[in-house]
Amino acid sequence: MGLPDILPMLVIGLYFLGTAFYVLGSALRNERIKVMALCLAAAGFTLHALDLASQLAGADALSALTSGRFLFCLLGLGILIIFLLLWWRLNMRFLAVVALPLALVFYATANATSDINASLPPMLSGLFFLLHIGTLFSSMALLAMAFGAGLAFIHLEKRIKTKVGLKNFQQDMPSLDTFDKVNHWVIVIGFPLYTVGLVSGFVWAWLASKRVFSFDPKEILALAILGLYAYLFHQRLAYGWRGKKPAVMAIAVFLLTVLSMLGINFLVPTTFHGFKP
Amino acid sequence: MDKNIFLVGLNHRSAGVDVREKFALTSVADFEKSLLGTCPLREVMALSTCNRVEILVVADGNRCQDQDISEAVLAHWAETCQGPLDVLRDHTYKHQSLDAVTHLFCVAASLDSMIMGEPQILGQLKNSYRKAVETGTARVIINRLLHKSFSVAKRVRTETAIASSAVSISYAAVELAKKIFGELTGKTAMLVGAGEMAELAATHLLASGIEKLYICNRTYGRAQELAKTMRGEAVFFEDMVERLSGVDIVISSTGSPTAIIRAKDIREVLKKRRNRAMFFIDIAVPRDIDPDVNSLDNVYLYDIDDLKEVVEENMSARKGEAVKARAIVDLETEAFATWMKSLALQPTITDLLRRAEDVAQRELAKTLKRLGAVDDETRQALEVLVNSVSRKLLHEPICFLKRRTREEGSSDRFIDVTRRIFNLDSDPVNPDAHLDRRGSEDDEPLDCECCREDAESGLDNSTKQ
Repeated sequence: MGLPDILPMLVIGLYFLGTAFYVLGSALRNERIKVMALCLAAAGFTLHALDLASQLAGADALSALTSGRFLFCLLGLGILIIFLLLWWRLNMRFLAVVALPLALVFYATANATSDINASLPPMLSGLFFLLHIGTLFSSMALLAMAFGAGLAFIHLEKRIKTKVGLKNFQQDMPSLDTFDKVNHWVIVIGFPLYTVGLVSGFVWAWLASKRVFSFDPKEILALAILGLYAYLFHQRLAYGWRGKKPAVMAIAVFLLTVLSMLGINFLVPTTFHGFKP
Repeated sequence: MDKNIFLVGLNHRSAGVDVREKFALTSVADFEKSLLGTCPLREVMALSTCNRVEILVVADGNRCQDQDISEAVLAHWAETCQGPLDVLRDHTYKHQSLDAVTHLFCVAASLDSMIMGEPQILGQLKNSYRKAVETGTARVIINRLLHKSFSVAKRVRTETAIASSAVSISYAAVELAKKIFGELTGKTAMLVGAGEMAELAATHLLASGIEKLYICNRTYGRAQELAKTMRGEAVFFEDMVERLSGVDIVISSTGSPTAIIRAKDIREVLKKRRNRAMFFIDIAVPRDIDPDVNSLDNVYLYDIDDLKEVVEENMSARKGEAVKARAIVDLETEAFATWMKSLALQPTITDLLRRAEDVAQRELAKTLKRLGAVDDETRQALEVLVNSVSRKLLHEPICFLKRRTREEGSSDRFIDVTRRIFNLDSDPVNPDAHLDRRGSEDDEPLDCECCREDAESGLDNSTKQ
């Protein structure tokens, strides 16, 4: 399965152009530029999926599962899939502004980490992969959307509250209610996924080394995120939080997950998650 | 040629409402025909609305030497409305030739309207034009001019943002509500107190899909009365705060000297609503709603001054867009001037011959390509052949045109028809044009057998066989 070496550069180029043109189209309020941007991104998305499939189809599929390149590739694709779902269900095409650059960043990161492998014992099974990586990446992709929707909400709300008037760009934005809906669904779906992902990680750690918690920085941060996420889940669903507060918190939770993903994996020595070369 | 186009009129800037009332032509029957009868004119169209009267005429060049056409039109207008000519003269503007064209384009594109960018004027202009066509007072030039003005209006609307933002208080309120709630279907609103502007805002909200409207007034009877006309539900004034927990949008305009809705009440209401967003529109002076309400999360409060500011900002945005629109109008005026110049015999004949030569050369090139290598002699013979066929074919139509244009008054019509038959101005053709005038029997496709590509290839096949 020999995909050309130029493929990663092509995908990065397409995502970059898609992002740039989408931002340009939004600024100029030009529907044609936006559609063109989305077509470019769609081409990038197709090649991106092909790239992932070719990694899985290779002879060393199992080792591919633990390679940094595969994991970041998957996260980038996951963000776009979640974006497509939100576009389809909630008509949130606006989130392309967040989804495209994030997909670009993670795909580029994937290619920067192509030589790196996570130091995992060979016990890894498909089920565990789905339970741990699948759930955590999905909830991270969801959080990425809540991050974008949250920023948009805060910006638009500030303009409406302070009565400074809506410029062309804000007039094209969806309503505050739509952004809040994204936040709602991200919390309702994302929190259980994150919990399953974390618990499965601890169960696996127990199976692998008979220790549930090893005071690993990754584990500490993950638990802190889970705590914040749980608080947000409770306040939103039981206490009736809406609008700005959950938006700010979702942004914070997303930034923490990124910190845990990029910061800790690359910079801090950890038990299983180290991507340090 | 374009010197013959005149436009006289008055609008909200040049004349007060009393003058506009006096000289309105809305209730005058057959003004166009009577004007055509008294002045040396070929074409007439009159537009009369509450804000303006515009009379567009095309003078008959042969009959109107040394006569002041605008003055004659004014005199007839004053006479028809039985008003003093001096007053009318003081309050009207006169435009001639391309100035008249530009003015008409500006009117159609709503650049000259009281509220710039409002689309009603275009509909009114279309009605006036239809009337002129039906009475037969609109002919070649007015036809072309009006069709052009409609397309200018469309271009201005699509290429500039002149009509994109709300410029009335009630529309601005509805637009803000949509920015907060998204679609308004399924939302509820409450009207507290009464007043023209508040009722207008409520009507706009209802038109945007609000599901339920509560009406609350200190006098319950008045609330019931309003509820009946607006299909809402009357609410006792004492129950107002309690009912607010089920209301998304509140429009308030009571005469109360103090605030009737306070922040601490709303804090309680929000708890009951589980923080679902609320939008308060306070149209009353002095204000009905405590300004602190705006500092609560998920609550948005706009008073009359805030809304006025939104409207003013949108208005100034429209003025910025008007500069772009003006450029479009100038461009189209130039195009119209070019068309007017072509409405003479000589340019039309030149264009016709050039078109024929173009077609001949194109077909020749195709045939030569198909034949492959040919010697110079054959090539020249073919060239002579196509050119003489096209020229001979045009000989009779050109002679006909020359004869007709010597006749009184019909030259424009024949030249225009010729230009349209051969599409010498390369106008885009709208397949839906004149749909209302088309009978059901001619539903067959407009393109004929002989000019289709497959007809040509069929011809090839038969020759090959």
